[in-house]
Amino acid sequence: MFTKHVSKDLSAYCHGELSPQDSRAIAEHLICCQQCRAEFEEIKLGVKLAERLPEMKAPGSLWKDLEARLDAQVGTDESSARRVASERSIRPLARIWQPRVLAIAATLILASGLGVIWFYVQEARPSWEVARLNGSPRIGSAIMNDRSRLAIGQWLETDNVSRAQIQVGSIGQVEIDPNSRVKLVQTGPTEHRLELARGRMSAHIWAPPRLFFVDTPSAVAADLGCAYTLEVDDEGGCLLRVTSGWVALQLKDRESMVPAGAACETRRGIGPGTPYFEDASDSFRQALSKLDFEPHDTEWSKIPALNLVLMQARPRDTLTLWHLLARLEGADRVLVYERLAALSPPPPKVTRDGVLQLDDEMLTAWKAALESTWSNDSGLRKGWIKIWTGALGKVKGLEGKK
Amino acid sequence: MEGLMERLAVMSDTLIDEQVIKDCQQGDREAFRLLFEAYKDRVFSIAVYSFQGDQTAAGDVTQQIFLKLMTSIGQFRGESQFTTWLHRLVVNTCIDEQRRRKRYLGFGETVVFPTTGERKPPERRYERKELADCVKAAISELKPKFRMAVLLKYVEGLSYEEIAEVLGCSKGTVASRLNRGHKELARRLAHLRDQVVLGE
Repeated sequence: MFTKHVSKDLSAYCHGELSPQDSRAIAEHLICCQQCRAEFEEIKLGVKLAERLPEMKAPGSLWKDLEARLDAQVGTDESSARRVASERSIRPLARIWQPRVLAIAATLILASGLGVIWFYVQEARPSWEVARLNGSPRIGSAIMNDRSRLAIGQWLETDNVSRAQIQVGSIGQVEIDPNSRVKLVQTGPTEHRLELARGRMSAHIWAPPRLFFVDTPSAVAADLGCAYTLEVDDEGGCLLRVTSGWVALQLKDRESMVPAGAACETRRGIGPGTPYFEDASDSFRQALSKLDFEPHDTEWSKIPALNLVLMQARPRDTLTLWHLLARLEGADRVLVYERLAALSPPPPKVTRDGVLQLDDEMLTAWKAALESTWSNDSGLRKGWIKIWTGALGKVKGLEGKK
Repeated sequence: MEGLMERLAVMSDTLIDEQVIKDCQQGDREAFRLLFEAYKDRVFSIAVYSFQGDQTAAGDVTQQIFLKLMTSIGQFRGESQFTTWLHRLVVNTCIDEQRRRKRYLGFGETVVFPTTGERKPPERRYERKELADCVKAAISELKPKFRMAVLLKYVEGLSYEEIAEVLGCSKGTVASRLNRGHKELARRLAHLRDQVVLGE
C-alpha cells in the first residue's frame, strides 16, 4: 500500500493508465485515506463531466472555403504551387461532380456507415474476459469457447450444468452459477455494472467505493472490496449473502447496508428488506420477512411479528433494529427505539426525540457506535466499514437506478 | 462519449492509410479531401473549445490547420504516427493563433458559450443540453495547458503516452495536467453532480 498520498495519480487510475500493481495499491490506499478518497470523488466527477463533452460538427461550407484558399494560394504563389500540387491535382471544383469522384464519395459514405455499425456492434464495445468453468455457457446465441469476451449489452447465460467466471476489469471476479442470466451493462473507469436477471452469482471485488454495481429486478447491489453471493428468483426477488466486507442494496430511497455474515432479501416493487445476521433464528427471519414484505391490512396483524423480532433481538441484531427505525412509524418506531436503546444505549447527544424524528446526524452517530457489534473485522476492513457507513443514505451511484 | 471518440479515431485511421497520405504528398486534391473529411470535426472541436466557443474563429483556425497540412505534408517522413504529426500541427496552430489574438485583439476575448454559473431553473427536457453547454463552457474556461490535455484525451481519445508525444512533455506532466483539469471541472460544475451521477 502507498504510504504517501496518491492524489497525483488519480486521473491515471481512473483512465486505467497504471499497472495492475499500482492500481491495486491505489485502491488499497483509497480505502484507508479519507483525504485521497475525497479527491478521488472529485476527480471521478471531473472525468464524468469531461466524458459529456460533445464533438462539434465542422460547418458544411468549410471545405468550399478551404478549397478556394488552396486555389488562391496555388494561383498566387508559384513556388508554393510546385510544392503543394502537381498539375494533376489542380482541378476545378466541378471535378468533384465527375462520376469517379462521386463513386469514391459514395463508397466512402457506405464504408463509413458500415464501419460505424460494425464498430458499435463488435470490437469497439468494451468487454470483459469470460472463462468457461463447466458445461456450455452461451454468450448471446453462441456457445462460448474456453475463453471468450462479454461485450456491453451482451447476455451470458448458463444452463442447468454450466458455469462461467467473469473477470471484472482489473477489480475482481464474478462466478456465474447454473441457470443464470447476466448482462454486462457498463464498464468504464468510474463504473462497472452487471445486470443479473435470474440465477446466482458470486462476486469477489477489490475496489474503491461505488465502482461495481449489480442491477437486479428488485434492487441495485453496490459493493466495496467484498465477497458476496446474489441470487435472483423467477419472481425477481433476490437474496444477498455477504461473506466479506459490506454491500449496499437500494431501490429508490430504500436502502439496506449488509455486513459480512448478514443477508438481506428483496422483492420486486418493494426493494430491499431489513438486513439480518444469518445466525438469527428461523422464527426471527420469518417474522422479519412478514414485516418487510407482507401487506398489513391492520396495525394488529403486524404486532406479533414485531414483538417476536424485538423479543429475540441480540446485541448484534441491532443491525436489524437500526434499519427498522426508519421503516416503521408511530408506536412501532417507539417500540424499536426502546429495545435498541436497551441493547445499546444511544451515544451522547443522540436523543430519543431526534431518533424518533429520524434526524440524519443522530441516526448516523448511533450507527457508528453500533458498528463494532456488527462486525468483528479490524484494520483494513474497518476502513471499508467507515467508507460504507459514511456513504449510507447518500450512495449517489444507486439512487434512481431502478 | 469517450468510446465514440475512440471509435471515430479508429475509423479515421482505417480510412486514412499510407496511400492516402502519399497521394496528399503528391498534391492529390481528392486524397486531401478524404483526409479533410476524416479529421475535420475533431480538429474543429478542438479549435472551438480553444477559442471559447467562437465558431467563426474556430472555422478560420481549422482552415489554417488544413492549409498548413496541405503545404507541409511533404515534410511528413513517417517517423511518427501521422495522427501524432497532425495533432502537433493542431496544438501548435491553436497556440500560435491564441497568442496572435491576445497580441492584436487585446481584451476582446469573449466567452460565447454560456458561462458555468448561469444555471437556469431545471426543466428536465433541457437538462441534457444544459449540462452539455455547461461542460463546454467550463472546458473553455480552463487554463490553455490543462484544456489542451483534456481535449486530446476526450475529443481525440489519445492515451497519456500519445498526449505526451503531441505536447512534448512527460506522461507524468500529462497526468498532472489532466488531474488539474478534472478538479477544475468538478469545482466549477459541482452543482451538476447529481445530474451527472443520476443521469447515467
